[in-house]
This record gives sequence, C-alpha cells and structure tokens, in this order.
Amino acid sequence: MIKVTHVTKTYDDGKVRVEALRGINVEIKNGEFTAIVGPSGSGKTTLLNIIGGLDTPTEGNVIIGETNIALLSENQLIDFRLNHIGFVFQSYNLIPVLTAKENVEFLMLLQNKSEAERDERTTKLLKAVGLEDQINKKPNEMSGGQQQRVAVARALASKPDFILADEPTANLDSASTANLLDIMYRLNQEENMTFVFSTHDQRVIDRAKRVITVEDGKILSDIYT
Amino acid sequence: MSFWDKQPYLTFVPFVMLFKLAWRNIFRNKRRSIITVSSIIFAVIFAVFMRSLQYGAYGNMLKNIVSSYLGYIQVHKQGFWTEKTLDNSFSPEDITYLLDHENISYLSYRVEGFALASKDDNSKPVALLGLDVQQEKNRLGLDKKVVQGEYFTNRKTGILVGIGLRDIMSLRLGDSIIFLSQGYQGSMASGSYPIIGFIDLKTPELNKRTVIMDLAQAQELFAMPNMVTTAVLGLKNDNWEETQQEVIARVDTNQLEVLNWNEMLPELQQLIAVDKAGGLFVLFILYSIITFSLFGTVLMLTEERSFEYGVLIAVGMAKNKVIIVAILETILMAITGIIAGLAFAFPVVLYFNIYPINLSGQMQEVVEKYGFEALIPTSLDPSIALSHAGIIFFIVLAVNMYTIVKIKRLEPIKAMRR
Ligand SMILES: Nc1ncnc2c1ncn2[C@@H]1O[C@H](COP(=O)(O)OP(=O)(O)OP(=O)(O)O)[C@@H](O)[C@H]1O
Ligand SMILES: [Mg+2]
Repeated sequence: MIKVTHVTKTYDDGKVRVEALRGINVEIKNGEFTAIVGPSGSGKTTLLNIIGGLDTPTEGNVIIGETNIALLSENQLIDFRLNHIGFVFQSYNLIPVLTAKENVEFLMLLQNKSEAERDERTTKLLKAVGLEDQINKKPNEMSGGQQQRVAVARALASKPDFILADEPTANLDSASTANLLDIMYRLNQEENMTFVFSTHDQRVIDRAKRVITVEDGKILSDIYT
Repeated sequence: MSFWDKQPYLTFVPFVMLFKLAWRNIFRNKRRSIITVSSIIFAVIFAVFMRSLQYGAYGNMLKNIVSSYLGYIQVHKQGFWTEKTLDNSFSPEDITYLLDHENISYLSYRVEGFALASKDDNSKPVALLGLDVQQEKNRLGLDKKVVQGEYFTNRKTGILVGIGLRDIMSLRLGDSIIFLSQGYQGSMASGSYPIIGFIDLKTPELNKRTVIMDLAQAQELFAMPNMVTTAVLGLKNDNWEETQQEVIARVDTNQLEVLNWNEMLPELQQLIAVDKAGGLFVLFILYSIITFSLFGTVLMLTEERSFEYGVLIAVGMAKNKVIIVAILETILMAITGIIAGLAFAFPVVLYFNIYPINLSGQMQEVVEKYGFEALIPTSLDPSIALSHAGIIFFIVLAVNMYTIVKIKRLEPIKAMRR
C-alpha cells in the first residue's frame, strides 16, 4: 500500500519558484491498476518520482508498506527501491551492453539471488511478456515496444511491491501500446501486481481501473471505473 | 548500505557481472578505446625506452670509467685529489695491511703525474700514468685495450699512448717522445721513451691526454723511488659503500684520504644529474599530455554514460557498484595498454642492449666531448619498466577521481532528464 499525505513539492532555484505539487493526499492499495493523467506540467512525473523515492517531497509523507521513505538515507533509499519498487521509464530503460535476458536478470544479481532462481524467473518473465524467442538480443536489436516489454519484465524480476511507469507508451506506436497494456493488465489480473502509470494517451486511460487526474499540482478528480 | 556489507558471501556474483559490464562497455566505442589504449602503449614504450637508454648510458659510462680505470675506491696521500702534485705521495708499505680486509682482493699502485710531451716541434701537456703493467693487465685487461702495437708483454720499457693524443700529435709506433716535468720535491724530470702501442680507454677525454708507462719507470722519471700517489683497491664484490667506510676506519686519515668514484668524479655526477633532470622534464611533458588525454576520455565517458548511471541508480543499483563499473572500464584499458606497452618495449630495449646504439656524426661529437662513449647499450633494469607502468596506472586512478565524485553526486532524475 502506498500512502501519500499532504505532499507538496516546490522547486526553487533562487530565481524561479515552481510549486509542482500543492498538497497531494492519495492512497493506492495493492492490486490496483491506476492511471495518473493531466495536462503537461501538471505534476504527474513529480508525483511518481516522489512515490518512487527518486525525489523528496518539500512537505508531507510517503509511506510504502510500513516505511516512511522520507526518513531513509540516500543509500537506504536506493536499497529500498531495489527491493520494493519496480520502474519502467519512458525510454532507454535498458543497459545497452546486456541482452534481454541479462537485463532482466540484472536486479536479481544485485539482490544476490541464486542462479537457479534467476534462471527460472527470467525465463518465466520473458515468456510472460512474449519475448521468449528474443532472450539473447541486445536492446538496439529490438523494437521500442519490445524494449519496453523487457523493461516491464525487469521491473517485475526483483519482486517489487508495485510498479511505477511514467508514460511507458509515449514512444510506442498504437499496436505496441496495446500489446504492452495487455501484458501489464494481465500481470495485474493474474499476479495481482500493482501498477501506477502516468499517461496522455486516451486509449491507455480507457484501460485503467482507477484514473487520478492532476492539475496544477493538485488532484482534480479520482475515479474508479 | 555499501557494496560489500550486504550478504558478503555472495558478492562475488555481482562482481563478475560488474566486470562483464565494464568489459563490454569498452567495446561500445571501439575507436575511442583503441585511441586510449594506444596512447597508453605509446607512453609506456616511450618512457621505458628513453629511461632505459639514459640509465644505460650512465651505467656504461660508469662501468668504463670505474671498472677499467678508476676503480671504486682509491687511497691517496691526504689532499692529493685536490692538489695533484707528486709531493702528495706515500709509500705502499703504509697500507699493505688493508689486504686483510675481506672485500679487498688486491692493491694496485700508481704514480699519476703531469708532463709536457714533445715530438719534433709539437708539444702537449699530458697525464702520465705509471702503473704496474703486469698486474693491471691481469686485473683490468688493459692489454685488450691496445688497438695498435702491443702491450708490455716481455718488456717494461716504452709507453702506451691514448689514441686521441696519437691523432692530435700525429704519432706513429716507434716514435720517441720526450717528457719534461717537475719531479718529486722540486727535482727536474726528463726522459725519452719509445711508443710501443696505442690504447683506447673508451673515454675520449682520457684518450686525448693519457700516457701509460710502467710504475718503476715513472718512479725513476720523477725521482721518487718506492713512492706512489695512488692505490686502487680491488674489490671482491661491488659493495663499495660499506668497504669505503671500513677502510676509512682503519687508516690514519690525517695522512691518507680514501675516496670513492663518486667523490672523484663530481663533474660526472653533476652531468648525470643534469641529464636525468632533462629526461624527467621530457617525461613530465609526456605524462602531462597523457593525463589530459585520459582525463578527456574519462570526462566524455562520464558525460555520455550519465543517463545510464541515472537509470541504474534509479532501479536500485548502489552507487559504489556503479562507480566500480565506471572506473573498471578505464582501469581495464590502462592494464591492457600497460601490458601491451611493456610487451612492445621489452624486445626493443633488449635489442639495443645486445646491439647498442652507435651515435654518429654531430651527435657523436657532442656526446664524446662530455666524456660519454658514443656507444649506448640500454639498461635492462626492470625497475625502470615497473616504475613507469606504476606512474601510468596512478594517473588513470587519479583521473578517475572525477568519475567517482560525479557518480557520488549524481541525482538519477536529473541525469535521466533529456
Ligand atoms: N527540476 C525542476 N526544477 C524546476 N521546475 C521543475 C523541475 N521539475 C519539474 N518542474 C516543474 O514542475 C512542474 C511539474 O512538472 P512535471 O514534470 O511533474 O509535469 P508532468 O505532469 O509530468 O508534465 P508532462 O506531461 O509534460 O510530463 C512543471 O511546471 C515543471 O516545469
Ligand atoms: Mg512527465
């Protein structure tokens, strides 16, 4: 469970002051399939970064499970991300010199998982994202959609509590978008994996079970479909 | 939590993976990696070859002067080395007890004086060296240095003349030379001696002014029977420093001075010091260039990879591990370059050790003017190669400080902004 309370974020470089988030309160339960939408500059990325422990709120708390991540040191936070949060970014998620299989295995190596466990899980995940025949390809030998599917498999590999995805389909064509959404949806249904993703794409929004609309750094609406 | 303290029993697996990442990164921009490795190879070859040549030249010079002429240690009457008059002489009996020292195998006595040498209307000041022709033949192989005529084989009369002096005075075998000088305690010294051979002492300076005769003849010429100016100590091993101290402790230093080759050749030492400093300056420039080019590589690498480093840290890779991957890349290149550089340098250095470089033309003249032999074998001292390999490795570590600081400060969301 993710619990965001009274979170504000103000960027102030001395000259310009931007209030990116102005008092966000939201709870996301395990198993949800949530889209965060809103116009450009509304604060979607900022919110996801704060939930993911990549950025710190100016005020307020983010509690994930039992942990108030605002209280963690930099290194503790990195470790927390490794073991609790899966990330899918807009693009260039993967390590260019590693194959699909090695990319998926990567976080499990950092977690010191045994070879047997790594092999089993990598095979299973690449199959789940439909890339069992691409395991030895490097990122630059795969399409954008395939790369994002590898990124989803990698995010799942570390057995996170939930997956955060900031505009994961922004660089994909509609077929790849639909395919990626299918995979995420199925993982949500079958494995009960929690997904929180931001998007501009109406077809992606249509697939979400919950849509949180952000505008001007505030939650405008929060609808379960 | 840092790299090693988490489940240390399994950290080997991630390390293999970090190594794999670094290794594959090297091949991402092949051209840059090749340039980086080549510049290291070049630097190693250049530095090692240059230093081997320099140290080889010094070693050769010292070997020639010390082993074939000067000896490591000499005993004189106190004050002889600064004021080289025959009055500063002593009796060999005064020091025969030094033969009891375990590192001294023999004592070789000499009379070193100066004279004006004349042939027809041609005269030159020369250094007249009287020595035990039989003993020095055995000890120093002086007979092998005779290039024309013959050594004192069955005779003790006559003189050997340096080949430099031969050329200056246009001398020929069998010519007689008249010497004029002041002998012991103000006596007149003069005599005429036939040339029985010409000798190459391997040092142009010596060749130009040296005349050698038997010790007894020199004592007679200078009217100093049973007196010598110099005793060369023949050492069993090269440990001259300790031996010198022990000899000093045994002799009466009010009467006698005990000098080592360093003290007798201060100009040579200075010359070597100046030459070494010149070499260091060249190396300093070389290493500065290498440092900047490596720094350029590290800078580019760090900038190029910072998006990726941002992703790695974002998904949960500890910064220390990211740092290891980043610096391992240049360290692996450095190791490759150093090993290849040494592999190339070794046969070159070895070749010029076996077939010394023979300077010619103007270079030869300049070098010989300073008393160097124009034949330079390279030094095979492994510490030369090791020290330069070490310096380059250190430079690589130093320029990687940039990467370390950069990654320590890296904020993933900033690094991942495009
Ligand atoms: N590092 C920063 N420094 C200053 N201002 C920032 C910074 N990051 C974001 N902002 C500002 O905060 C506001 C919210 O930005 P954010 O990126 O969260 O919006 P977004 O909803 O993700 O937009 P988009 O749909 O374009 O991705 C914007 O006005 C943006 O300019
Ligand atoms: Mg955004």
